[in-house]
Amino acid sequence: MKNPKVAAVTGHNVGFCLEFPSRTMIVGAGVTTTSPTGQLQEPPAALRFRRQLRFDTAMSELWQARGLVRTLAERDLRVRYKRTFLGVGWAVINPVLFMVVFTFFFQKSAHIVTGGVPYALFAYIALVPWSFFAQATSAGSASLLSNMSLLNKVYCPREVFPITAIITAGFDALVASAVLVMLFIAYGYPPATATVWVPLLVIIEVAFALGLTLFMCSTLIYLRDLRYAVPLIVQLGMFISPVAYSITAIPRGLRPYYDVLNPMGPILDSFRRTVLHNLAPDGTALALAGAASAVWLVGGYSVFKRLETGFADFA
Amino acid sequence: MTENSTPPTGTITVDRVWKRFRADRNRPVFRDEVGRLADTVRGRGDPKRWRWALQNITLQVDPGEAVGLFGSNGSGKSTLLKILTRVMYPTAGRLRISGRVGALIEIRAGVHPDLTGRENIYLYGSIMGLRRSEIDRRFDEIVDFAELSDALDRQLKYYSSGMAMRLGFAVAAFLQPDVLLVDEVLAVGDASFQQKCLDRMRAVLQEGTTLIFVSHDLASIESIARRGVWLRNGVVATDAPIREALSAYRQHIESAAKLSVLDNGDIGASASATGPGGSVALSGDPLHVNLNITSAKARRAILYVGVSEGSAAPIFSVHQELKLEPGANIRRCTLQSVPLPRGRYFVWLAITDSTGSDLVPWHPACEFDVHGPELEPLLPGVMRLSPVHIAADWASTDAPVSSTRYPANDD
Repeated sequence: MKNPKVAAVTGHNVGFCLEFPSRTMIVGAGVTTTSPTGQLQEPPAALRFRRQLRFDTAMSELWQARGLVRTLAERDLRVRYKRTFLGVGWAVINPVLFMVVFTFFFQKSAHIVTGGVPYALFAYIALVPWSFFAQATSAGSASLLSNMSLLNKVYCPREVFPITAIITAGFDALVASAVLVMLFIAYGYPPATATVWVPLLVIIEVAFALGLTLFMCSTLIYLRDLRYAVPLIVQLGMFISPVAYSITAIPRGLRPYYDVLNPMGPILDSFRRTVLHNLAPDGTALALAGAASAVWLVGGYSVFKRLETGFADFA
Repeated sequence: MTENSTPPTGTITVDRVWKRFRADRNRPVFRDEVGRLADTVRGRGDPKRWRWALQNITLQVDPGEAVGLFGSNGSGKSTLLKILTRVMYPTAGRLRISGRVGALIEIRAGVHPDLTGRENIYLYGSIMGLRRSEIDRRFDEIVDFAELSDALDRQLKYYSSGMAMRLGFAVAAFLQPDVLLVDEVLAVGDASFQQKCLDRMRAVLQEGTTLIFVSHDLASIESIARRGVWLRNGVVATDAPIREALSAYRQHIESAAKLSVLDNGDIGASASATGPGGSVALSGDPLHVNLNITSAKARRAILYVGVSEGSAAPIFSVHQELKLEPGANIRRCTLQSVPLPRGRYFVWLAITDSTGSDLVPWHPACEFDVHGPELEPLLPGVMRLSPVHIAADWASTDAPVSSTRYPANDD
């Protein structure tokens, strides 16, 4: 964009320019059909609209829209607090209830190897990142659909909606972490120094959640069945991920496949290894999970961008 | 084509834009694709899959221009506007807008009912592309304009639709975009706020903003736009100065408003209209409406006669109670000094019984031309309710009249 004014303008509704690739126009080239009145019935093929997608402009546009992301996240959080009696409490209730149920049923009966860690803590340390993931993907997948009225009327980078869902989930995870602190104190089991690994784990998890969400929310517009499938997948996901049990329950030979197919496995395991056991993450497993997450992110974003042009048409 | 030269801020270039939709939008996309695949495998023909909503639209709007976009339902107005706002992508063609685009489209979409007015101003503002600091700076102005200062901390769901609309318009009014797109939003506001919005739009225009205004309300379009674009079935039918474009559109509605002689066997009516002595009608002269009412029995009835530009809403109307005899009843209604400017008009009529229930419904019965002076131009931003012509005499007097005279426009 050469317009100097455009570069100076802030906000996301900046000047823009949509162009079809400047190919040579073959005037009157064979295929165009004409009505008896001589009017064109279809556009000449050379005029076909092709969006020129540039990664850096897309990113800078997204950066410009950060204020909108903040406002939308604020909107979602505020609305929830206004509508509900417990408000912020719901962010805690969900993982805590799971922890209680798990502790009650699994601690004694099933032989779960916790490596000497109190089971409640063992479960909760995985429940916080898992709840984040579950909430981010289920809310994120529905985000475009639930913001359809907005999407249909006002322009903004469409990524704003899934990103907002992930940020909202992140906020809830922070609130849920407060209980984690209480558990550390209650059990007299402080987090280990290897906790420094956590930021890396969070990055991998967010990348995976974002990639999956971008993929799901854009395909969901075209295939509404996903709206019902996603909650089911997320529910099942908790059982095939090491939330209630240790990752050692997965047969050794299957681990590489498992790690690639379900990056949440190594991620959750790494949270336990670092924070509770003061170990470095399992390098191979985490590398596989990280690679898989990166593939999801790139793939999900590409699918999203490809499908984006039709969102308003099929709404 | 000057592909890479930079047009001045506020320019809109729409070059051969096409847009199509699926012919059957209710069918889920995925099932549709699967079904079509199956059809292809079975060797069945491809049914009509697409419907063109816009065809070969070319428009060039210069900075500061005010364009009114109109046309009947489904003519592609909203689709074009959505393409201009980048909500939708064209199927083919080229599109270029320089500068910041603000769109004022259906307020309800951008606000949340559970948030307060204050929170919604920030929400709607950021959706429109304003930064927080920008909203902070304009907050008081916005509240002032929307006249919502005492409802600011009330949740939006307790607002009336007019209040919500005022909030949205106020935010958009202070957006200061280079291009402002307005889609049929003023309809819910009350008359005084509508006028305020029109004033504001005029002020925005004077600041050099390009305006595209979509509405079914031809009077408000006429008051704000200088240029009119009539979309008809996805094609630009007319692109001309506003009065010309509107009159082309009105003529079209007129020809669609089928003149009819209604007679259900029980009662029927037909009419013709002429000037005095059967000549052509002139502005300011009497107009004779000759009526032929056939009735199956003797009865009392009330006859309504109105003159309109084509639509069912008349410029004026008169009524008379009649005692009808069986058979044909010839009546003449003479309208004294008809204040109509040059143009083509329609006589609409209806007959009801004394209780007010329809015997003959309100329908256009005949058309007639009026010769005389053109309709006078209007101050931009002011809505005209009835297009009538009143002769005016101007004189300068020595008597002091400054108390009734308006001061010079200080804009």
